[in-house]
Amino acid sequence: MQQTIPESLKISPFMAAFVIVSMQIGIGVLGYQRLISEDAGYDAWISVIMAGLTVNVLVWLMYKICETVNGDVMAANIYAFGKIIGNSINTLFIFYFIMTCLTVLSGLIEVIRTWMFLGMKPAFFASVYLILGIYIVNGGFRTVVGIALFGLVVPAYLLLSFVAPLRFGDLTNLLPILDHTPVQLVKSAYNMTLTYLGYSVLLFIYPFIKEPKKSKKWVHLGLFSTMAFFTALAVITFAYFPIALLQKSIWATLEMWKIVKLPFIERFEYLGLANWALVILPNVAISLWVASRIVKRVYHINQRKAVFVIAAIVLIVVIMLDSRERINTFHDFQAKAGFVLAYLYTPFLYIVLLIKKKVKAK
Amino acid sequence: MSIFFRRRRRQKELNDKEQKKQLNSKGKDEKEGNQVDKKVQDRAEDWEKELVKSADYQKKNYINRKTGKKFIFTFIPTLVEEKVLDNNALPPLLEEEFLKITDVKKLLPIADVEVSSDTKKISQKLIEGYVMLTLEGDTSGFALFSAQKTVVRSVTAPEIEFSVIGPKEAFVEALGDNLNMIRRRLPIKELISEQFVVGKLSRTKISVIHIDGITNKEIVNTVKQRISEIEKDEIADSSYFTQLIADNGNSPFPQLLDSERPDRVAASLAEGKVAIIVDGSPHVLIGPTSLTEFFNAFEDYFLNWILATFIRMVRLFAVVFSIMITPLYVAVVTYHYELIPKDLLVTLVASRRVVPFPPILEALFLEITIELLREAGARLPTKVGQTIGIVGGIVIGTASVEAGLTSNVLLIFVALSALASFTTPVYQMSNTIRLLRFPFLFMAEIWGLLGMTIAFCFLITHLLRLTSLGLPYMEPMFPLRLKDFRDALFRLPFKNQATRPTFLRTKDFSRFSKEKAYQKKDIDE
Repeated sequence: MQQTIPESLKISPFMAAFVIVSMQIGIGVLGYQRLISEDAGYDAWISVIMAGLTVNVLVWLMYKICETVNGDVMAANIYAFGKIIGNSINTLFIFYFIMTCLTVLSGLIEVIRTWMFLGMKPAFFASVYLILGIYIVNGGFRTVVGIALFGLVVPAYLLLSFVAPLRFGDLTNLLPILDHTPVQLVKSAYNMTLTYLGYSVLLFIYPFIKEPKKSKKWVHLGLFSTMAFFTALAVITFAYFPIALLQKSIWATLEMWKIVKLPFIERFEYLGLANWALVILPNVAISLWVASRIVKRVYHINQRKAVFVIAAIVLIVVIMLDSRERINTFHDFQAKAGFVLAYLYTPFLYIVLLIKKKVKAK
Repeated sequence: MSIFFRRRRRQKELNDKEQKKQLNSKGKDEKEGNQVDKKVQDRAEDWEKELVKSADYQKKNYINRKTGKKFIFTFIPTLVEEKVLDNNALPPLLEEEFLKITDVKKLLPIADVEVSSDTKKISQKLIEGYVMLTLEGDTSGFALFSAQKTVVRSVTAPEIEFSVIGPKEAFVEALGDNLNMIRRRLPIKELISEQFVVGKLSRTKISVIHIDGITNKEIVNTVKQRISEIEKDEIADSSYFTQLIADNGNSPFPQLLDSERPDRVAASLAEGKVAIIVDGSPHVLIGPTSLTEFFNAFEDYFLNWILATFIRMVRLFAVVFSIMITPLYVAVVTYHYELIPKDLLVTLVASRRVVPFPPILEALFLEITIELLREAGARLPTKVGQTIGIVGGIVIGTASVEAGLTSNVLLIFVALSALASFTTPVYQMSNTIRLLRFPFLFMAEIWGLLGMTIAFCFLITHLLRLTSLGLPYMEPMFPLRLKDFRDALFRLPFKNQATRPTFLRTKDFSRFSKEKAYQKKDIDE
């Protein structure tokens, strides 16, 4: 039911956490504060924690799904729904991951065009970035994981830069706590899901992990740390921004970087943005890898050719996404698709698998 | 048809010249019949058809005093130590009783003697410097004994990996001498050396050494399999060999470490690596290796671990500085001059005021000048080279600043980065560092800091894809093995290095007993 992966291509359980975490930290970090504070105001940090806990539950479900078939979700789909429906669901996944890659890449290009290079041609930058993505994917899954590691470790110094706004911030902005209705908090949590998305790659990398049971602990630890990071960043943002200004700041994190003062650098956000290209790279590489791998498994096309075609599709669509409205619409669509995939499809698949297993056991 | 006859005529002329040479050469009183047989060309056997054409191929006839039998020495004098022939071989053969060919084993005081009748071996052995002895009337076989002359450099101090303290022995070009130096440092019976011959024309001897019981057999088998697949006619040096068995021939990064120090090779063997000695090369290859090894000089082990760590950090900083500083200058001055704080900005703008070129052209001009100086300095003979290097460097630098072609800030950066690139202890890697600067420069010109990040991503990806003998090149960093960091970027004291590096997957991973090394007593005990 599943092709076996040779031992030399597998990664250690500790690395699986790096893949998940680096997939989660993407373009959302730069501007999620405005989205969550729309409904719940400055209590949104509670919804961040709520959303984070649901993510842990979902990942637990995902592990159960993969353990049932001892493989990845493509095998689970075929097992649960039969070949035809299973493969059509897998094809939908291809489009989902192409959309993920597009979201991230277009978000990055938009940020660069607004903050650094006003006249940069998206086609040129996107093609170089995608060539880099293809180069990484061609090196195999281990190279992809290596980039995930470096994409987290090298820009890690940016965490220190978030201490700066605290000096000017006022934590009393958060008070009074819980003056919003639970409905508003839940709406805010719903808006947060786009930022947390990325854990669904676990469904596809499961066969590549050396001892999957050992990786559970690390992955959950990674998810907790992402949750802690988002919460802390939200709290710092709320301490620094007055709420009216926050409603108007699309990229709150970048605006906070403007106040970092180092003796030899005047504008820190240039440094932060340049490193952000490194942070985004694992997202692009992993999505390209997953999409081309699904193509390989479902349609038996050579993965090298598949990744090239997928990258070409991404390039063409990125050129078309050139205004704020279009990007906004696209991101909303991606958020909805991600929500459906994570919160609706995953439990559904789990239940179907449970039923199927019981039926087969009889 | 006439061409054919012309060739035969020329052969005859050569033969006559050969004979004249033989007649005029110095004879010694004991020898008789010091002439090459006139019709030897026509009577040449199969195995000597090519050899006869060389002027340095001789056959000498002697008559044994006791039995009166003739015996012939066939050899190539340029490969043979004449003293061995005159002092060791001739006297017993002339004086003692020499009846059959197998007597030669009793008579000759030379260790490497064999009697055989396999004619296929003859030409090969003659080329290697053996002497063939045939006895008149005894057609059962012939004897081959060794009288080789080896021309070898004496052992000197290492040039590239010179260390201020510690042993100052470097490898030489002879495989036997190199193996001797390594065996003296690891006098255990488990040190195994397997020999191969590679290269159709050069027939280079290659020796693969490892310690049995420690080294992972997979690595040794990989090396042996790659050696068997080599297709090359002439191998001049171990660096040819590196390129022939490289995992990725298109990468500027060396995938095997080369060293000219026997102590470094012995230490690597003790860690569980494989060493490859190539005859004719003073560099011995060590594999599998990882990126951080190329920034470790062996001298680090001779110093205290704190000093060694400090020096390694300096080296690492120097390498990063050397690659990044000129592209950083170009990026910041072209696109992001808002990054520079006010006071530094004044200096920069003042220095760039008179320069008519954009920063990228300035930087390229200076970089190319430095590369020219370096290449030219490498080719000039020592006496002229030093003067021209100093004069050229200083004069060109000062003059170009005064002419307004470059700014002095950039000149300092370029000079410093050139200096910093020499801190890499391994020569192969320092060339790579030189090269790496240019893609970064190019990308910095296109997209400033963002371009440098993209170039960095390309570099990291390339390194992640690289393997050395099948094992990952980015070793302690990418398959993240915190244990292996103790000897990678910094160096922990010896008592912390009780186990061998994990990535080698050695059979015996404990080097010495950790508990004994770590003994601690309470105060005043």
